[in-house]
Amino acid sequence: MRVKAEGSEMLLRLMSAATMRGDVLANNIASQSMPGYRRRDVVFEETLRNAIEKGASKRKIEEFQPEIAIDFDREPRADGNNVSPEEERTMLRENRLRYELYAAMLSGRSRLISQAINSTT
Amino acid sequence: MTTIYGRRANLALDRAFRGMRIAATALDAERARIDVITKNIANARTTRVPGSDEPYRREEVAFAPILERAANGRIEFMGVRIDGVLQDDAPFEEVFDPNHPDANDRGVVLYPNVNTMKEMADLVTATRAYEASLTIQENFERMAERALRMAE
Repeated sequence: MRVKAEGSEMLLRLMSAATMRGDVLANNIASQSMPGYRRRDVVFEETLRNAIEKGASKRKIEEFQPEIAIDFDREPRADGNNVSPEEERTMLRENRLRYELYAAMLSGRSRLISQAINSTT
Repeated sequence: MTTIYGRRANLALDRAFRGMRIAATALDAERARIDVITKNIANARTTRVPGSDEPYRREEVAFAPILERAANGRIEFMGVRIDGVLQDDAPFEEVFDPNHPDANDRGVVLYPNVNTMKEMADLVTATRAYEASLTIQENFERMAERALRMAE
């Protein structure tokens, strides 16, 4: 089995996107009473997947960055705000679990590498 | 917007979080129901609504399932949403009180068709349903954490 460096790098990028999303969701929750506020979200995983499915070059995939987008799809309340505290909370929970999943995968990979290093001594 | 939470995106992880999202729709719907119940209780003695010659009419929310067609063509339940707010057609309460400013020519004042006791009972069930959905989310989180710990 070969442990490639790109996999770890991708996991790190996914983790940083999750960190960014955590900040954005916290901002949404903080702005839940602000009239006219539209919730924001981080777009990364799905655009990345689309690019990979379309067969984008390795370089192009490496250049992909998480972006903050304004959510106009969700129906706003009477005051023009479209934040639902329950949904934000759920997303925050999901986001944390995602982060933990990526972290677990990353630590699994580094364990493999350190095993490979230690087995030579 | 295509985010990982949008319905259009269908990553493998999204399927894993389905239960969590269904609970989130229930939380949203129950909170809307609690809002309407609160409005009913607050207006239980409102004898005149601006723009109409009637007292406050009791409102009720109607729930509808969120249905979605899965990849295999089957219809799947993806939670619950508020279908609309309905008005209660039950008759108003009539109280004889000729001195009341909203009394009609017979001296009768119409009071809203809100039964506070019933609203309180509804409030309890809505709150319990809300708490149940929260518990589901917490359990789901714990299960996912357990699964992750197996990888350590």
